[in-house]
Amino acid sequence: MVSLPSFLVVSLILFLAGIAVMIARKNVIAILLGIELILNAAALNFAAYTRFINNNLDGHVMSLFIIVIAAAEAAVGLAIVIRFYQIRESIHIDDATQLQS
Amino acid sequence: MLLNYLASIARFTPEIILVVTMIGLLFVESTYSNDAKGSKKGYLYATAYLGLLFTLVKLIGSLGDAPGGIFTNALTIDPFSTLAKIIMVIGTGASIYLSRRSDDIYDKLKGEFAIIAIGVLIGGMLLASANNMLMLYIGIETLSILSYVLASLKKNDDRSSEAGLKYSLYGGISAGIMLFGMSHIFGVVGTIQFAGIVDKIQALDTMQVAILMPSFLMFFAGIGYKIACVPFHMWAPDVYEGSPLPVTTFFSIVPKIAGIAVLVRVTMTFFGGDTSALQMTWVGSLSVIAALTMTVGNVSAIGQRSVKRMLAYSSISHAGMMMMGVVCLSEIGVTGIIFYGITYLFMTLVAFFITSFVQDEYGNDHFERFNGLITKHPLMAIFMIMTMFSLAGIPPFSGFVAKFNIFNALIDKDFYVLAIIAGMNSVVAIYYYLKIVRLMVFKSSESEEKVSGFGFTNQLVIAILTVPVLVLGIFWENIIVVANGAKIFIQ
Repeated sequence: MVSLPSFLVVSLILFLAGIAVMIARKNVIAILLGIELILNAAALNFAAYTRFINNNLDGHVMSLFIIVIAAAEAAVGLAIVIRFYQIRESIHIDDATQLQS
Repeated sequence: MLLNYLASIARFTPEIILVVTMIGLLFVESTYSNDAKGSKKGYLYATAYLGLLFTLVKLIGSLGDAPGGIFTNALTIDPFSTLAKIIMVIGTGASIYLSRRSDDIYDKLKGEFAIIAIGVLIGGMLLASANNMLMLYIGIETLSILSYVLASLKKNDDRSSEAGLKYSLYGGISAGIMLFGMSHIFGVVGTIQFAGIVDKIQALDTMQVAILMPSFLMFFAGIGYKIACVPFHMWAPDVYEGSPLPVTTFFSIVPKIAGIAVLVRVTMTFFGGDTSALQMTWVGSLSVIAALTMTVGNVSAIGQRSVKRMLAYSSISHAGMMMMGVVCLSEIGVTGIIFYGITYLFMTLVAFFITSFVQDEYGNDHFERFNGLITKHPLMAIFMIMTMFSLAGIPPFSGFVAKFNIFNALIDKDFYVLAIIAGMNSVVAIYYYLKIVRLMVFKSSESEEKVSGFGFTNQLVIAILTVPVLVLGIFWENIIVVANGAKIFIQ
Protein backbone atom coordinates (compact mmCIF):
# COMPACT_ATOMS: atom_id res chain seq x y z
CA MET A 1 0.00 0.00 0.00
CA VAL A 2 1.44 3.31 -1.06
CA SER A 3 0.84 5.90 1.63
CA LEU A 4 0.66 9.67 1.68
CA PRO A 5 4.27 10.29 2.82
CA SER A 6 5.69 8.51 -0.22
CA PHE A 7 3.71 10.80 -2.52
CA LEU A 8 4.87 13.84 -0.56
CA VAL A 9 8.50 12.72 -0.78
CA VAL A 10 8.22 12.24 -4.54
CA SER A 11 6.66 15.64 -4.99
CA LEU A 12 9.28 17.26 -2.78
CA ILE A 13 12.02 15.64 -4.89
CA LEU A 14 10.32 16.93 -8.05
CA PHE A 15 10.10 20.41 -6.56
CA LEU A 16 13.75 20.46 -5.50
CA ALA A 17 14.80 19.09 -8.87
CA GLY A 18 12.87 21.87 -10.58
CA ILE A 19 14.54 24.52 -8.43
CA ALA A 20 17.96 22.96 -9.04
CA VAL A 21 17.39 22.89 -12.81
CA MET A 22 16.41 26.54 -12.81
CA ILE A 23 19.46 27.56 -10.84
CA ALA A 24 22.02 25.34 -12.54
CA ARG A 25 21.05 25.23 -16.19
CA LYS A 26 21.62 28.20 -18.48
CA ASN A 27 19.49 26.94 -21.34
CA VAL A 28 16.08 28.61 -21.54
CA ILE A 29 14.31 25.42 -22.63
CA ALA A 30 15.79 23.61 -19.64
CA ILE A 31 14.49 26.35 -17.35
CA LEU A 32 11.02 25.92 -18.85
CA LEU A 33 11.34 22.20 -18.10
CA GLY A 34 12.23 23.06 -14.51
CA ILE A 35 9.05 25.16 -14.25
CA GLU A 36 7.04 22.18 -15.50
CA LEU A 37 8.62 19.99 -12.82
CA ILE A 38 7.56 22.43 -10.10
CA LEU A 39 4.01 22.65 -11.43
CA ASN A 40 3.79 18.86 -11.58
CA ALA A 41 5.04 18.59 -8.01
CA ALA A 42 2.17 20.84 -6.93
CA ALA A 43 -0.37 18.88 -9.00
CA LEU A 44 0.82 15.61 -7.50
CA ASN A 45 0.50 17.09 -4.01
CA PHE A 46 -3.08 18.15 -4.64
CA ALA A 47 -4.05 14.76 -5.99
CA ALA A 48 -2.34 12.90 -3.14
CA TYR A 49 -3.82 15.03 -0.38
CA THR A 50 -7.30 14.72 -1.81
CA ARG A 51 -6.94 10.94 -2.16
CA PHE A 52 -5.63 10.24 1.35
CA ILE A 53 -6.95 12.96 3.64
CA ASN A 54 -9.78 15.08 2.37
CA ASN A 55 -11.83 12.91 0.03
CA ASN A 56 -13.40 15.90 -1.72
CA LEU A 57 -13.17 16.95 -5.33
CA ASP A 58 -11.27 20.19 -4.72
CA GLY A 59 -7.83 18.68 -5.15
CA HIS A 60 -8.70 16.83 -8.35
CA VAL A 61 -10.13 20.00 -9.88
CA MET A 62 -7.00 21.91 -8.92
CA SER A 63 -4.73 19.26 -10.48
CA LEU A 64 -6.69 19.31 -13.74
CA PHE A 65 -6.53 23.08 -13.95
CA ILE A 66 -2.82 23.07 -13.18
CA ILE A 67 -2.21 20.69 -16.10
CA VAL A 68 -4.28 22.81 -18.49
CA ILE A 69 -2.72 26.11 -17.46
CA ALA A 70 0.80 24.64 -17.51
CA ALA A 71 0.24 23.69 -21.15
CA ALA A 72 -0.89 27.21 -22.00
CA GLU A 73 2.08 28.70 -20.19
CA ALA A 74 4.53 26.40 -21.95
CA ALA A 75 3.03 27.31 -25.33
CA VAL A 76 3.44 31.04 -24.74
CA GLY A 77 6.87 30.55 -23.19
CA LEU A 78 8.13 28.55 -26.16
CA ALA A 79 6.74 31.10 -28.62
CA ILE A 80 8.71 33.81 -26.84
CA VAL A 81 11.83 31.62 -26.82
CA ILE A 82 11.50 31.17 -30.60
CA ARG A 83 11.32 34.95 -31.10
CA PHE A 84 14.34 35.36 -28.87
CA TYR A 85 16.26 32.73 -30.82
CA GLN A 86 15.44 34.33 -34.18
CA ILE A 87 16.76 37.67 -32.98
CA ARG A 88 19.76 36.61 -30.88
CA GLU A 89 20.54 33.20 -32.45
CA SER A 90 21.02 31.73 -29.00
CA ILE A 91 18.83 30.39 -26.22
CA HIS A 92 21.45 30.86 -23.54
CA ILE A 93 20.12 32.89 -20.62
CA ASP A 94 23.44 34.73 -20.31
CA ASP A 95 22.83 36.27 -23.73
CA ALA A 96 19.82 38.14 -22.40
CA THR A 97 21.86 41.17 -21.42
CA GLN A 98 20.29 44.06 -23.27
CA LEU A 99 18.27 45.20 -20.28
CA GLN A 100 20.58 45.93 -17.41
CA SER A 101 21.08 49.08 -15.46
CA MET B 1 -29.67 25.48 -7.90
CA LEU B 2 -30.48 26.78 -11.37
CA LEU B 3 -31.86 29.99 -9.94
CA ASN B 4 -28.69 30.41 -7.94
CA TYR B 5 -26.62 30.20 -11.10
CA LEU B 6 -28.86 32.64 -12.91
CA ALA B 7 -28.52 35.10 -10.03
CA SER B 8 -24.73 34.58 -10.14
CA ILE B 9 -24.63 35.30 -13.85
CA ALA B 10 -26.61 38.49 -13.30
CA ARG B 11 -23.92 39.71 -10.91
CA PHE B 12 -21.16 38.58 -13.26
CA THR B 13 -22.23 40.80 -16.18
CA PRO B 14 -19.17 43.13 -16.21
CA GLU B 15 -16.84 40.22 -16.86
CA ILE B 16 -19.24 38.67 -19.39
CA ILE B 17 -19.45 41.95 -21.29
CA LEU B 18 -15.65 42.05 -21.45
CA VAL B 19 -15.43 38.47 -22.73
CA VAL B 20 -17.98 39.27 -25.44
CA THR B 21 -16.03 42.43 -26.29
CA MET B 22 -12.82 40.44 -26.60
CA ILE B 23 -14.43 37.91 -28.95
CA GLY B 24 -16.07 40.72 -30.89
CA LEU B 25 -12.72 42.47 -31.26
CA LEU B 26 -11.24 39.32 -32.79
CA PHE B 27 -13.98 39.33 -35.44
CA VAL B 28 -13.71 43.06 -36.09
CA GLU B 29 -9.94 42.77 -36.40
CA SER B 30 -10.33 40.02 -39.01
CA THR B 31 -12.45 42.25 -41.25
CA TYR B 32 -9.47 44.50 -41.93
CA SER B 33 -6.95 43.60 -44.59
CA ASN B 34 -3.61 42.21 -43.52
CA ASP B 35 -1.56 45.34 -44.02
CA ALA B 36 -4.11 47.81 -42.67
CA LYS B 37 -2.70 50.39 -40.28
CA GLY B 38 -3.63 49.77 -36.68
CA SER B 39 -4.30 53.41 -35.87
CA LYS B 40 -6.82 53.58 -38.72
CA LYS B 41 -8.97 50.74 -37.39
CA GLY B 42 -11.79 52.97 -36.16
CA TYR B 43 -14.39 50.25 -35.67
CA LEU B 44 -11.99 48.14 -33.61
CA TYR B 45 -11.34 50.96 -31.18
CA ALA B 46 -15.03 51.90 -31.12
CA THR B 47 -15.88 48.32 -30.13
CA ALA B 48 -13.22 48.26 -27.43
CA TYR B 49 -14.26 51.60 -25.92
CA LEU B 50 -17.94 50.65 -26.08
CA GLY B 51 -17.31 47.38 -24.24
CA LEU B 52 -15.19 49.08 -21.60
CA LEU B 53 -17.79 51.84 -21.20
CA PHE B 54 -20.61 49.33 -20.69
CA THR B 55 -18.49 47.49 -18.15
CA LEU B 56 -17.71 50.72 -16.33
CA VAL B 57 -21.38 51.77 -16.22
CA LYS B 58 -22.38 48.32 -15.01
CA LEU B 59 -19.69 48.35 -12.31
CA ILE B 60 -20.58 51.82 -11.07
CA GLY B 61 -24.24 50.82 -11.02
CA SER B 62 -23.48 47.78 -8.86
CA LEU B 63 -21.45 49.73 -6.28
CA GLY B 64 -24.37 49.98 -3.89
CA ASP B 65 -25.45 46.34 -4.13
CA ALA B 66 -25.31 44.08 -1.12
CA PRO B 67 -22.04 42.10 -1.05
CA GLY B 68 -22.21 38.38 -1.60
CA GLY B 69 -20.57 35.32 -3.08
CA ILE B 70 -21.47 34.03 -6.52
CA PHE B 71 -20.93 30.69 -8.28
CA THR B 72 -20.96 28.70 -5.01
CA ASN B 73 -18.74 31.30 -3.37
CA ALA B 74 -15.96 30.95 -5.92
CA LEU B 75 -16.05 34.73 -6.40
CA THR B 76 -16.98 37.53 -4.05
CA ILE B 77 -18.67 40.63 -5.33
CA ASP B 78 -18.24 43.40 -2.77
CA PRO B 79 -17.68 47.16 -2.98
CA PHE B 80 -13.93 46.68 -2.54
CA SER B 81 -13.57 44.41 -5.56
CA THR B 82 -15.91 46.61 -7.59
CA LEU B 83 -13.82 49.71 -6.88
CA ALA B 84 -10.61 47.85 -7.77
CA LYS B 85 -12.26 46.75 -11.02
CA ILE B 86 -13.31 50.32 -11.83
CA ILE B 87 -9.69 51.46 -11.42
CA MET B 88 -8.49 48.66 -13.71
CA VAL B 89 -11.12 49.36 -16.41
CA ILE B 90 -10.20 53.06 -16.55
CA GLY B 91 -6.51 52.15 -16.71
CA THR B 92 -7.11 49.73 -19.58
CA GLY B 93 -9.17 52.23 -21.55
CA ALA B 94 -6.48 54.89 -21.22
CA SER B 95 -3.72 52.43 -22.18
CA ILE B 96 -5.65 51.41 -25.30
CA TYR B 97 -5.99 55.09 -26.23
CA LEU B 98 -2.26 55.57 -25.73
CA SER B 99 -1.45 52.46 -27.77
CA ARG B 100 -3.36 53.92 -30.72
CA ARG B 101 -1.48 57.22 -30.59
CA SER B 102 1.97 55.89 -29.71
CA ASP B 103 4.67 55.05 -32.27
CA ASP B 104 6.22 52.52 -29.92
CA ILE B 105 3.99 49.64 -31.04
CA TYR B 106 4.14 48.36 -34.63
CA ASP B 107 1.19 49.77 -36.49
CA LYS B 108 0.03 46.33 -37.62
CA LEU B 109 -0.09 45.02 -34.06
CA LYS B 110 -2.10 47.82 -32.49
CA GLY B 111 -5.32 45.84 -32.78
CA GLU B 112 -3.71 42.95 -30.95
CA PHE B 113 -2.75 45.22 -28.07
CA ALA B 114 -6.41 46.12 -27.53
CA ILE B 115 -7.52 42.47 -27.63
CA ILE B 116 -4.85 41.14 -25.28
CA ALA B 117 -5.18 44.08 -22.90
CA ILE B 118 -8.86 43.31 -22.43
CA GLY B 119 -7.89 39.67 -21.79
CA VAL B 120 -5.48 40.78 -19.07
CA LEU B 121 -8.22 42.96 -17.64
CA ILE B 122 -10.54 39.94 -17.36
CA GLY B 123 -7.81 38.11 -15.44
CA GLY B 124 -7.36 41.10 -13.16
CA MET B 125 -11.08 41.29 -12.46
CA LEU B 126 -11.20 37.58 -11.59
CA LEU B 127 -8.25 38.10 -9.28
CA ALA B 128 -9.82 41.10 -7.55
CA SER B 129 -12.87 39.06 -6.54
CA ALA B 130 -11.29 35.61 -6.17
CA ASN B 131 -12.60 33.79 -3.13
CA ASN B 132 -10.95 30.42 -3.48
CA MET B 133 -7.51 29.21 -4.46
CA LEU B 134 -8.59 27.91 -7.85
CA MET B 135 -9.97 31.30 -8.93
CA LEU B 136 -6.87 32.98 -7.51
CA TYR B 137 -4.61 30.72 -9.57
CA ILE B 138 -6.69 31.10 -12.73
CA GLY B 139 -6.80 34.86 -12.27
CA ILE B 140 -3.05 35.14 -11.77
CA GLU B 141 -2.30 32.95 -14.77
CA THR B 142 -4.78 34.72 -17.08
CA LEU B 143 -3.13 37.94 -16.04
CA SER B 144 0.41 36.60 -16.43
CA ILE B 145 0.26 34.52 -19.61
CA LEU B 146 -1.29 37.35 -21.60
CA SER B 147 1.16 39.81 -20.04
CA TYR B 148 4.09 37.78 -21.39
CA VAL B 149 2.66 38.24 -24.88
CA LEU B 150 2.19 41.96 -24.30
CA ALA B 151 5.76 42.39 -23.06
CA SER B 152 7.18 40.88 -26.25
CA LEU B 153 4.67 42.61 -28.53
CA LYS B 154 7.42 44.44 -30.44
CA LYS B 155 8.51 41.17 -31.88
CA ASN B 156 11.48 42.20 -34.00
CA ASP B 157 13.02 44.26 -31.23
CA ASP B 158 15.58 42.41 -29.14
CA ARG B 159 14.85 44.36 -25.99
CA SER B 160 11.14 43.64 -26.14
CA SER B 161 11.57 39.91 -26.74
CA GLU B 162 14.10 39.77 -23.93
CA ALA B 163 11.58 41.50 -21.65
CA GLY B 164 8.99 38.88 -22.56
CA LEU B 165 11.48 36.08 -21.94
CA LYS B 166 12.46 37.38 -18.50
CA TYR B 167 8.85 38.02 -17.57
CA SER B 168 7.73 34.53 -18.55
CA LEU B 169 10.60 32.79 -16.75
CA TYR B 170 10.19 34.75 -13.50
CA GLY B 171 6.41 34.42 -13.77
CA GLY B 172 6.51 30.67 -14.29
CA ILE B 173 8.87 30.13 -11.37
CA SER B 174 6.87 32.22 -8.93
CA ALA B 175 3.55 30.69 -10.02
CA GLY B 176 5.05 27.23 -9.47
CA ILE B 177 6.31 28.12 -6.01
CA MET B 178 2.95 29.65 -5.14
CA LEU B 179 1.14 26.48 -6.21
CA PHE B 180 3.46 24.29 -4.17
CA GLY B 181 2.67 26.42 -1.12
CA MET B 182 -1.04 26.27 -1.89
CA SER B 183 -0.97 22.50 -2.18
CA HIS B 184 0.38 22.15 1.36
CA ILE B 185 -2.15 24.67 2.69
CA PHE B 186 -4.82 22.56 1.03
CA GLY B 187 -3.36 19.43 2.58
CA VAL B 188 -3.50 20.86 6.08
CA VAL B 189 -6.84 22.67 6.02
CA GLY B 190 -8.61 20.36 3.55
CA THR B 191 -10.40 22.91 1.40
CA ILE B 192 -9.63 25.49 -1.23
CA GLN B 193 -12.43 27.86 -0.17
CA PHE B 194 -11.11 30.89 1.69
CA ALA B 195 -14.06 30.77 4.11
CA GLY B 196 -13.27 27.16 5.03
CA ILE B 197 -9.58 27.96 5.50
CA VAL B 198 -10.45 30.76 7.96
CA ASP B 199 -12.39 28.34 10.15
CA LYS B 200 -9.57 25.82 10.15
CA ILE B 201 -6.67 28.14 10.96
CA GLN B 202 -8.30 29.28 14.20
CA ALA B 203 -7.32 26.04 15.92
CA LEU B 204 -4.06 24.46 14.82
CA ASP B 205 -1.53 22.25 16.55
CA THR B 206 2.21 22.93 16.44
CA MET B 207 2.82 20.43 13.65
CA GLN B 208 0.26 22.09 11.39
CA VAL B 209 1.66 25.55 12.13
CA ALA B 210 5.12 24.28 11.20
CA ILE B 211 3.83 23.17 7.80
CA LEU B 212 1.64 26.20 7.20
CA MET B 213 4.25 28.88 7.95
CA PRO B 214 6.58 28.13 5.02
CA SER B 215 3.54 27.32 2.87
CA PHE B 216 2.04 30.75 3.39
CA LEU B 217 5.39 32.36 2.59
CA MET B 218 5.54 30.38 -0.67
CA PHE B 219 1.93 31.39 -1.36
CA PHE B 220 2.97 35.00 -0.91
CA ALA B 221 5.68 34.60 -3.57
CA GLY B 222 3.07 34.38 -6.33
CA ILE B 223 1.16 37.44 -5.20
CA GLY B 224 4.33 39.37 -4.39
CA TYR B 225 5.62 38.77 -7.88
CA LYS B 226 2.52 40.40 -9.39
CA ILE B 227 2.91 43.44 -7.13
CA ALA B 228 6.70 43.45 -7.74
CA CYS B 229 7.60 43.77 -4.06
CA VAL B 230 11.17 43.41 -3.02
CA PRO B 231 12.52 39.88 -3.11
CA PHE B 232 10.52 39.31 -6.31
CA HIS B 233 11.03 42.69 -7.98
CA MET B 234 14.06 41.93 -10.18
CA TRP B 235 11.95 41.44 -13.28
CA ALA B 236 10.09 44.73 -12.98
CA PRO B 237 12.63 47.34 -14.15
CA ASP B 238 13.84 45.15 -17.02
CA VAL B 239 10.35 44.28 -18.22
CA TYR B 240 9.09 47.83 -17.84
CA GLU B 241 12.06 49.18 -19.79
CA GLY B 242 11.98 46.57 -22.54
CA SER B 243 8.26 46.65 -23.21
CA PRO B 244 6.73 49.23 -25.51
CA LEU B 245 5.60 52.29 -23.56
CA PRO B 246 1.81 51.75 -23.71
CA VAL B 247 2.44 48.23 -22.40
CA THR B 248 4.52 49.64 -19.54
CA THR B 249 1.68 52.02 -18.71
CA PHE B 250 -0.69 49.08 -18.67
CA PHE B 251 1.64 46.92 -16.54
CA SER B 252 2.10 49.56 -13.92
CA ILE B 253 -1.66 49.81 -13.39
CA VAL B 254 -3.69 46.68 -14.02
CA PRO B 255 -1.53 43.78 -12.68
CA LYS B 256 -0.38 45.95 -9.78
CA ILE B 257 -3.87 46.96 -8.64
CA ALA B 258 -5.12 43.39 -9.10
CA GLY B 259 -2.22 42.06 -7.03
CA ILE B 260 -2.81 44.60 -4.26
CA ALA B 261 -6.53 43.77 -4.28
CA VAL B 262 -5.92 40.05 -3.87
CA LEU B 263 -3.29 40.69 -1.19
CA VAL B 264 -5.76 42.82 0.76
CA ARG B 265 -8.47 40.18 0.44
CA VAL B 266 -6.20 37.30 1.48
CA THR B 267 -4.77 39.22 4.43
CA MET B 268 -8.10 40.55 5.66
CA THR B 269 -9.89 37.21 5.26
CA PHE B 270 -7.24 34.98 6.80
CA PHE B 271 -5.66 37.22 9.39
CA GLY B 272 -8.17 40.01 9.98
CA GLY B 273 -9.69 38.73 13.18
CA ASP B 274 -7.73 36.45 15.44
CA THR B 275 -4.22 36.72 16.78
CA SER B 276 -2.51 33.46 15.96
CA ALA B 277 1.09 32.48 15.35
CA LEU B 278 0.39 32.59 11.62
CA GLN B 279 -0.87 36.14 11.80
CA MET B 280 2.40 37.24 13.36
CA THR B 281 4.39 35.53 10.62
CA TRP B 282 2.31 36.94 7.79
CA VAL B 283 1.96 40.50 9.07
CA GLY B 284 5.56 40.61 10.29
CA SER B 285 6.98 39.54 6.95
CA LEU B 286 4.56 41.84 5.12
CA SER B 287 5.70 44.88 7.07
CA VAL B 288 9.38 44.08 6.50
CA ILE B 289 8.71 43.52 2.81
CA ALA B 290 6.68 46.73 2.53
CA ALA B 291 9.47 48.78 4.11
CA LEU B 292 12.12 47.13 1.91
CA THR B 293 10.00 47.57 -1.23
CA MET B 294 9.64 51.31 -0.66
CA THR B 295 13.29 51.81 0.15
CA VAL B 296 14.73 49.73 -2.68
CA GLY B 297 12.33 51.27 -5.20
CA ASN B 298 13.15 54.80 -4.20
CA VAL B 299 16.91 54.38 -3.85
CA SER B 300 17.23 52.59 -7.20
CA ALA B 301 15.14 55.24 -8.94
CA ILE B 302 17.70 57.94 -8.14
CA GLY B 303 20.47 56.95 -10.54
CA GLN B 304 18.37 56.16 -13.61
CA ARG B 305 18.89 57.84 -16.99
CA SER B 306 15.69 56.61 -18.61
CA VAL B 307 12.44 58.19 -17.44
CA LYS B 308 10.57 54.96 -18.14
CA ARG B 309 12.91 53.02 -15.88
CA MET B 310 12.66 55.71 -13.22
CA LEU B 311 8.87 55.46 -13.33
CA ALA B 312 9.17 51.68 -13.07
CA TYR B 313 11.16 51.96 -9.84
CA SER B 314 8.78 54.64 -8.58
CA SER B 315 5.85 52.29 -9.18
CA ILE B 316 7.66 49.67 -7.09
CA SER B 317 7.92 52.14 -4.24
CA HIS B 318 4.25 53.09 -4.60
CA ALA B 319 3.37 49.41 -4.32
CA GLY B 320 5.35 49.35 -1.07
CA MET B 321 3.32 52.31 0.16
CA MET B 322 0.06 50.52 -0.64
CA MET B 323 1.33 47.42 1.17
CA MET B 324 1.80 49.54 4.29
CA GLY B 325 -1.97 49.96 4.28
CA VAL B 326 -2.38 46.17 4.15
CA VAL B 327 -0.19 45.70 7.21
CA CYS B 328 -2.60 47.75 9.34
CA LEU B 329 -5.34 45.08 9.07
CA SER B 330 -7.92 47.79 9.62
CA GLU B 331 -10.72 49.36 7.64
CA ILE B 332 -8.92 52.71 7.57
CA GLY B 333 -6.06 50.90 5.88
CA VAL B 334 -8.33 49.48 3.19
CA THR B 335 -9.88 52.89 2.60
CA GLY B 336 -6.38 54.34 2.29
CA ILE B 337 -5.39 51.68 -0.24
CA ILE B 338 -8.44 52.29 -2.44
CA PHE B 339 -7.86 56.04 -2.36
CA TYR B 340 -4.17 55.50 -3.12
CA GLY B 341 -5.13 53.25 -6.02
CA ILE B 342 -7.42 55.88 -7.52
CA THR B 343 -4.85 58.67 -7.29
CA TYR B 344 -2.01 56.38 -8.42
CA LEU B 345 -4.03 55.53 -11.54
CA PHE B 346 -4.32 59.13 -12.70
CA MET B 347 -0.79 60.18 -11.71
CA THR B 348 0.75 57.21 -13.52
CA LEU B 349 -1.37 57.78 -16.61
CA VAL B 350 -0.42 61.45 -16.96
CA ALA B 351 3.28 60.76 -16.37
CA PHE B 352 3.38 57.93 -18.91
CA PHE B 353 1.27 59.77 -21.52
CA ILE B 354 3.61 62.76 -21.55
CA THR B 355 6.73 60.56 -21.50
CA SER B 356 5.33 58.54 -24.37
CA PHE B 357 4.80 61.51 -26.69
CA VAL B 358 8.20 62.96 -25.81
CA GLN B 359 9.81 59.59 -26.51
CA ASP B 360 8.03 59.25 -29.87
CA GLU B 361 9.47 62.61 -30.92
CA TYR B 362 13.10 62.06 -29.92
CA GLY B 363 13.50 58.30 -30.15
CA ASN B 364 14.49 57.75 -26.52
CA ASP B 365 13.23 58.69 -23.09
CA HIS B 366 16.35 59.99 -21.37
CA PHE B 367 15.94 62.78 -18.86
CA GLU B 368 17.58 65.34 -21.18
CA ARG B 369 14.72 65.00 -23.64
CA PHE B 370 12.55 66.92 -21.21
CA ASN B 371 14.90 69.94 -21.30
CA GLY B 372 13.02 73.16 -21.78
CA LEU B 373 9.66 71.57 -22.33
CA ILE B 374 8.03 74.52 -20.61
CA THR B 375 8.97 76.94 -23.39
CA LYS B 376 7.78 74.58 -26.11
CA HIS B 377 4.61 73.20 -24.53
CA PRO B 378 3.85 75.22 -21.39
CA LEU B 379 0.55 73.49 -20.68
CA MET B 380 1.97 69.97 -20.92
CA ALA B 381 4.97 70.95 -18.81
CA ILE B 382 2.68 72.37 -16.12
CA PHE B 383 0.64 69.15 -16.10
CA MET B 384 3.84 67.12 -15.81
CA ILE B 385 5.03 69.34 -12.93
CA MET B 386 1.70 68.89 -11.15
CA THR B 387 1.90 65.14 -11.58
CA MET B 388 5.49 64.99 -10.34
CA PHE B 389 4.57 67.05 -7.26
CA SER B 390 1.65 64.74 -6.70
CA LEU B 391 3.77 61.58 -7.09
CA ALA B 392 6.26 63.03 -4.59
CA GLY B 393 3.40 63.71 -2.18
CA ILE B 394 3.48 67.49 -1.99
CA PRO B 395 0.22 69.23 -1.03
CA PRO B 396 -2.27 70.33 -2.38
CA PHE B 397 -2.15 67.49 -4.91
CA SER B 398 -3.90 64.16 -4.58
CA GLY B 399 -0.70 62.19 -3.91
CA PHE B 400 -0.36 64.02 -0.60
CA VAL B 401 -3.86 63.08 0.56
CA ALA B 402 -3.27 59.49 -0.49
CA LYS B 403 -0.03 59.27 1.51
CA PHE B 404 -1.71 61.06 4.42
CA ASN B 405 -4.42 58.40 4.57
CA ILE B 406 -1.88 55.60 4.72
CA PHE B 407 0.05 57.44 7.47
CA ASN B 408 -3.21 57.90 9.32
CA ALA B 409 -3.88 54.17 9.23
CA LEU B 410 -0.30 53.37 10.31
CA ILE B 411 -0.35 55.73 13.29
CA ASP B 412 -3.82 54.56 14.27
CA LYS B 413 -2.33 51.09 14.79
CA ASP B 414 0.88 52.40 16.41
CA PHE B 415 3.23 51.32 13.62
CA TYR B 416 5.52 54.28 14.25
CA VAL B 417 8.65 52.67 12.77
CA LEU B 418 6.90 51.99 9.47
CA ALA B 419 5.52 55.52 9.42
CA ILE B 420 9.01 56.96 9.92
CA ILE B 421 10.44 54.77 7.15
CA ALA B 422 7.64 55.86 4.83
CA GLY B 423 8.27 59.49 5.70
CA MET B 424 11.98 59.27 5.00
CA ASN B 425 11.24 57.57 1.70
CA SER B 426 9.00 60.45 0.66
CA VAL B 427 11.95 62.78 1.10
CA VAL B 428 14.12 60.59 -1.14
CA ALA B 429 11.34 60.45 -3.72
CA ILE B 430 11.13 64.25 -3.93
CA TYR B 431 14.72 64.33 -5.25
CA TYR B 432 14.20 62.28 -8.38
CA TYR B 433 10.72 63.54 -9.18
CA LEU B 434 11.83 67.13 -8.97
CA LYS B 435 14.81 66.37 -11.23
CA ILE B 436 12.40 66.25 -14.18
CA VAL B 437 10.77 69.48 -13.02
CA ARG B 438 14.17 71.16 -12.83
CA LEU B 439 15.14 70.00 -16.32
CA MET B 440 11.83 71.12 -17.79
CA VAL B 441 11.87 74.57 -16.23
CA PHE B 442 15.49 75.66 -15.93
CA LYS B 443 17.35 73.95 -18.79
CA SER B 444 17.04 75.18 -22.33
CA SER B 445 16.43 72.61 -25.01
CA GLU B 446 18.74 71.91 -27.95
CA SER B 447 16.12 72.43 -30.62
CA GLU B 448 13.05 74.60 -30.93
CA GLU B 449 11.11 71.81 -32.63
CA LYS B 450 7.73 71.14 -31.09
CA VAL B 451 6.67 67.66 -30.03
CA SER B 452 4.36 66.54 -32.80
CA GLY B 453 2.50 64.11 -30.53
CA PHE B 454 0.97 66.94 -28.55
CA GLY B 455 -1.93 67.54 -30.91
CA PHE B 456 -5.20 68.98 -29.70
CA THR B 457 -6.90 65.64 -28.91
CA ASN B 458 -3.93 64.27 -27.02
CA GLN B 459 -3.57 67.47 -25.03
CA LEU B 460 -7.27 67.33 -24.21
CA VAL B 461 -7.02 63.73 -22.98
CA ILE B 462 -3.98 64.55 -20.86
CA ALA B 463 -5.83 67.56 -19.45
CA ILE B 464 -8.84 65.40 -18.56
CA LEU B 465 -6.56 62.90 -16.82
CA THR B 466 -4.80 65.69 -14.93
CA VAL B 467 -8.00 67.13 -13.49
CA PRO B 468 -8.39 64.35 -10.87
CA VAL B 469 -4.74 64.74 -9.83
CA LEU B 470 -5.56 68.26 -8.67
CA VAL B 471 -9.23 67.88 -7.75
CA LEU B 472 -8.78 64.78 -5.62
CA GLY B 473 -6.20 66.67 -3.60
CA ILE B 474 -8.67 69.42 -2.71
CA PHE B 475 -12.13 67.84 -2.68
CA TRP B 476 -11.00 64.51 -1.32
CA GLU B 477 -13.78 64.03 1.21
CA ASN B 478 -16.22 62.84 -1.46
CA ILE B 479 -13.92 60.13 -2.70
CA ILE B 480 -13.07 59.11 0.87
CA VAL B 481 -16.79 58.54 1.44
CA VAL B 482 -16.86 56.23 -1.58
CA ALA B 483 -13.65 54.49 -0.50
CA ASN B 484 -15.03 54.12 3.02
CA GLY B 485 -17.83 52.03 1.60
CA ALA B 486 -15.24 49.62 0.16
CA LYS B 487 -15.61 47.05 2.86
CA ILE B 488 -14.19 43.60 2.40
CA PHE B 489 -16.93 41.02 2.56
CA ILE B 490 -15.91 38.04 4.67
CA GLN B 491 -18.18 35.05 4.83
